[in-house]
Amino acid sequence: MAICTGCSLLCEDIVAALKDGSFSHVKNLCRKGHGHFQAAFTERTVPMIDKEQVDQDRAIAKAAEILRNAKSPLLYGWSNSTLEAQAAGIKLAEKLGATIDDTSSFCQGILMERILSGKIPTCTLDDVRNFADISIFWGSDPSSSHPRHLSRFSYYPRGEKRQKSYEEERTCIVVDVRKSATARLCSNYYFRVAPGGDGEFMEAILAVLEGKIPKVGDKKKMIELSSVLKKTEWGVIFPGLGMIYSLQDKMELFERLLAKLNEITTFKVIPMVGHYNMRGFNELMREKTGFINRVSFKGGAPVHGPEYSVTATARTCDAALVIGSDPLSALPFGTARALARLPLIAIDPRRSLTTDAAKVVIPSALSGLEAGGTAARMDGVKIKFEPIIDTKLLSDEQIITRIMEAI
Amino acid sequence: MASEVEVTIVTVRDIFQDEAGRKSRFSDEYKNLSALIILDKQDLIRLDVKDGQRLLVKNEVGSVVVAARTSEDEAHPGLAFMYNSPWSNQIVSDAVCESSIPGNKRIKATLSAAEEDITQISEIQARMQT
Repeated sequence: MAICTGCSLLCEDIVAALKDGSFSHVKNLCRKGHGHFQAAFTERTVPMIDKEQVDQDRAIAKAAEILRNAKSPLLYGWSNSTLEAQAAGIKLAEKLGATIDDTSSFCQGILMERILSGKIPTCTLDDVRNFADISIFWGSDPSSSHPRHLSRFSYYPRGEKRQKSYEEERTCIVVDVRKSATARLCSNYYFRVAPGGDGEFMEAILAVLEGKIPKVGDKKKMIELSSVLKKTEWGVIFPGLGMIYSLQDKMELFERLLAKLNEITTFKVIPMVGHYNMRGFNELMREKTGFINRVSFKGGAPVHGPEYSVTATARTCDAALVIGSDPLSALPFGTARALARLPLIAIDPRRSLTTDAAKVVIPSALSGLEAGGTAARMDGVKIKFEPIIDTKLLSDEQIITRIMEAI
Repeated sequence: MASEVEVTIVTVRDIFQDEAGRKSRFSDEYKNLSALIILDKQDLIRLDVKDGQRLLVKNEVGSVVVAARTSEDEAHPGLAFMYNSPWSNQIVSDAVCESSIPGNKRIKATLSAAEEDITQISEIQARMQT
């Protein structure tokens, strides 16, 4: 069995047979996972300095030289690296006095911090499969982002206390600005919100739960929702970026809603983390520094703040190392352009906009396929995996360790 | 009919576009599934463009030429969707809120019919170097 590192579900039941340098047979992969596995054979990177192909040792030496000479380097990415590579990365940041940040900085970080500090109640996906009768996908669309979420955990499976499953015992509710693929599946309980309207919708739910008339939404539907929530035995909310980006600095509204729901029944939260080991980075950083992301080691001791986020630091750092991430594709244009102008080191198995713009490219083995390690699933459960393809490429952990040694 | 229409754009995900991006960020398949804007039928009528025609999406951050696609959702005039990609990021401001979250979910932009071709990934890469 192989592990799919295509998303943070880390599906452990993948069957993959190799023949003549490609997969002859795969089983249990979703469309996203299939794309992830197929990517092992296309557009692989080679070691480069200034667009010229070099050997791996020279690329690593050049990366070390850039980082050694930088006054304020940024180490960014990490969410598609193993826990072992992340631990090495944090050590490298300490050694360099660098700023270190990951994709959670503009993604689920604001919620993950509350989960890891215990402010918001959480559970595992196995608990969801065994006990949940209500799953609320709020600003998330697992049919697009985590395609096997519904079949493995939240809607279709028969669990310990949910033997009748979706036919009788499970209900999905979707709150979103559009009728997403998941919303079409649960159209009886689809609630459309306006962009930025999630906070108002939370206040409306709080109002109906207290027997008041809601200010937004169809009153009849809101009363029906209130009734469903009150009858819930074991509920879970899966917030996506739609909810996080909409609430922004008003997360206390979500905390209020959860407190109210937990006065009535049981409600847990699992953030719909995208990258396969974003949560792992957050947990590791919290354990080693007290902060989940956006940390500077410039003065020695770790310091945290928005000024150390990738969006801010891209403009103030004088060199950047990007690992397992393509910020030039994924971040707003201004941040992407600021990164592209830096002496950029890209550690990545595959060609991307970031590797194209990098001064130094270091190819790495694909985690889960060519390199083993450990990662934290979206619910924090640690999953260990072994490689299924032989390669001479170095893992992220080995590359970071070699850069550190060279410095 | 209007030569320009103001919309609020929300960036969203799509599994087919995601799969194409995992295979290659530089393929026609990825471009065709990314360089598009999903609009309400009424907005297409207001702009006098048909499904598949090119639109210039412009705001104070930047501009990009993408293909129009008719929404299959319930009516949502004035609200448009783009998939997360280098194309949508051309118009996303990196001015952030206190929590350092960028504004991907409420992008104000103006749409108009475009004469130019769909923006190529190579052009986006060149813009980053200027």
